[in-house]
Amino acid sequence: MKNNDIELSALLEEWRVTTPLPPRFNEQVWKRIEQVDVTSASFVDTVREWLFAALARPRFALAYVTALLVLGSSVGLLQANRKAAHWERELQVRYVQSIDPYHKGRP
Amino acid sequence: MKRPTIVLLAGLLAAVAGYCGLFFHGTKEQREMLRSAAPELSWLKKEFDLGDAEFEQIARLHERYLPRCEELCQRIAAKNVELRQMVTSPNVDAKAVELKLKEAGDLRVECQRNMFNHFLEVSRQMPPEQGRRYLQWVHQQALADHDMAQRHAVHHMDSH
Repeated sequence: MKNNDIELSALLEEWRVTTPLPPRFNEQVWKRIEQVDVTSASFVDTVREWLFAALARPRFALAYVTALLVLGSSVGLLQANRKAAHWERELQVRYVQSIDPYHKGRP
Repeated sequence: MKRPTIVLLAGLLAAVAGYCGLFFHGTKEQREMLRSAAPELSWLKKEFDLGDAEFEQIARLHERYLPRCEELCQRIAAKNVELRQMVTSPNVDAKAVELKLKEAGDLRVECQRNMFNHFLEVSRQMPPEQGRRYLQWVHQQALADHDMAQRHAVHHMDSH
């Protein structure tokens, strides 16, 4: 393993890149990196600024809180119905099993 | 804290509060049933709209029924073990096997009769309409399209 590493290092040291890079390669790379940074930062900032400006308006704030309250309540109600039906089915099977102990609980 | 941040948090709080409130309110009845001493009987009470007096009477019938059911299941299982021994013995006595089969059959019938009588007694404790509904439902669950006693016996034979 060690011998292989030494051989590989020697080989890498001998390796020379002969193909020329495209013109203004470095400049192009830095330009692209800068562009990505600027785009993502500006999008997040824009959204945050818009949201905070909107939330500062009483009517929007009230609508936002109401919408989340309705959303949370709806999901809660849906989950409650689902869970209640599940528990009732479970109790129904338990009753049948209690009068017929080897009942396997058909769906 | 800035006002928009407060509004943002208030919205999230409202969503959580709405979810919890509706979930706990919507499952209150079922959670109470699950916490009761006999959840399956509590379910029966709710499902068939029973009053407290009717429910107590049915709970008593239920308690009285269970030991008899178990005893019959054990007798059927024992009968099946005897039958298996007779059939696998070197000299099979056809007449004795026939007699044993009849005894096992009689026990199964007795088990089913016992079960049906219990259902009938329970249904009589209910308001007439609910009683009819109960009989129809329980027959479908425990008696129809499968041989209850056979399953009891098979289970016992497997466990021996």
